[in-house]
Amino acid sequence: MRLEMGHIYIKDIQFADSSKIENGVLYVSREEAAAVALEDEKIKNVVFDIAKPGESVRITPVKDVIEPRVKVSGRGGVFPGVLAKVDTVGSGTTYALKGMAVVTAGKIVGFQEGIIDMSGPGADYTPFSKTLNLVMVCEPQEGLEPHEYEAAVRFAGFRVAAYVGELARELTPDETKVYETCTIKEGLEKYPDLPRVAYVQMLQSQGLLHDTYVYGVDAKKILPTILSPTETMDGAIVSGNCVSACDKNPTYVHQNNPVVEDLFAQHGKTLNFVCQIITNENVYLADKMRSSDWTAKLCAMLDLDGAIVSQEGFGNPDTDLIMNCKKIEAEGVKTVIITDEYAGRDGKSQSLADADEAADAVITGGNANEVVILPKMDKVIGTLDYVNKIAGASEDTLRADGSLEVELQVITGATNETGFNKLSAR
Amino acid sequence: MVKEIERAGIPVVHICTVTPISMTVGANRIVPAIAIPHPLGNPALDKDEEKALRRSIIEKALGALTTEVSGQTIFE
Repeated sequence: MRLEMGHIYIKDIQFADSSKIENGVLYVSREEAAAVALEDEKIKNVVFDIAKPGESVRITPVKDVIEPRVKVSGRGGVFPGVLAKVDTVGSGTTYALKGMAVVTAGKIVGFQEGIIDMSGPGADYTPFSKTLNLVMVCEPQEGLEPHEYEAAVRFAGFRVAAYVGELARELTPDETKVYETCTIKEGLEKYPDLPRVAYVQMLQSQGLLHDTYVYGVDAKKILPTILSPTETMDGAIVSGNCVSACDKNPTYVHQNNPVVEDLFAQHGKTLNFVCQIITNENVYLADKMRSSDWTAKLCAMLDLDGAIVSQEGFGNPDTDLIMNCKKIEAEGVKTVIITDEYAGRDGKSQSLADADEAADAVITGGNANEVVILPKMDKVIGTLDYVNKIAGASEDTLRADGSLEVELQVITGATNETGFNKLSAR
Repeated sequence: MVKEIERAGIPVVHICTVTPISMTVGANRIVPAIAIPHPLGNPALDKDEEKALRRSIIEKALGALTTEVSGQTIFE
């Protein structure tokens, strides 16, 4: 599959009477964008705001972060099976608005969403302090159950991102990158001497708002399968998460997965990037066993030499990670696993809930229990009402001077397990 | 906790969903549970069925508690 990604750099976002992109500036009509968000009657009200890097702004509770895109040629559309009709994406041409994001916020469950600081020490810990953020705070109709509200906000975010992306359809990209994968046979013929490597991506699928969707299918209902990595780049996987924000993948991370990007950079040079394998992290032991069996089986059938396995989340998915690692290694395929750690505030506790000797090449996204102080910000987009209850906070989190004492867990993307952030350890 | 209570001389049955973790941490008597969000029940069942399910897990655990083991054992 061959995908051309046209990058359009956004240098500023401003509210205006009508929406357009001109000379790298995104102008957004609040009325038009609100009409898109409010297409779903489950959402009572939406308030748009703009947060820029370096501003004294705190966004919370953050649900998702999305990169606006438009599909200009080739099969499928933006977020296939979710917004666009089901069709296989990953080929043709897609434009992405770089340097900006749509951020959905508002209290869904309150204690499970994240924080993005646009300046100060908190900004260093989230990749989304570096993007110009069009923030939409969504308020539900009264009586709406949290899971219905989650779905409504998830879809509203995608609709607004697609609306913004559509503004770029007639533009000329500032830069175009081409990503091309081979079929199995082509790969063998073209790169007979290069090691065959796949990316095994574990998708969060524990349920209760720990969910991921693949072409609109709830990932807890999939069996492990194969994707062209260009499908992932083209929006095949989206987030439905509302939980410990530090190590769940917002949709933006799926669209810009660094493991995919970096494997492509080496494709045909030091390795043959054969494909992406997706699997899940379910809450039944039989599912964990079945999915890891299938993942290892696919690795063997593809005659891989190596696999990079990334986890999403923590706790019982540590077992899925170790099962995948053990079983893939048992097929004679070398693995590197990417995870993060819950090693206690002092960093002295066991980092993962499970372990095995086969896991001898491990990359960490950092210790999510590490405590940081986030100074008071001049402006809050959303609300601080839930900041003492958010996972990684405590009743003493909000201090008298307005600062927050929190674990990294609360910060969106802080210990991301695809290497999307900068934290690690040696 | 399982190991500390056993260290004090009291046998323990660990009812848990992810039995491999229980094996890794060193429990001796392990009874599989249903699922992580609902280890001792199943909301998909009706009340009578669920009560029978819950009772069967507890009875299995009590049985395990009174069974001599020579090493780590999962009571399927």
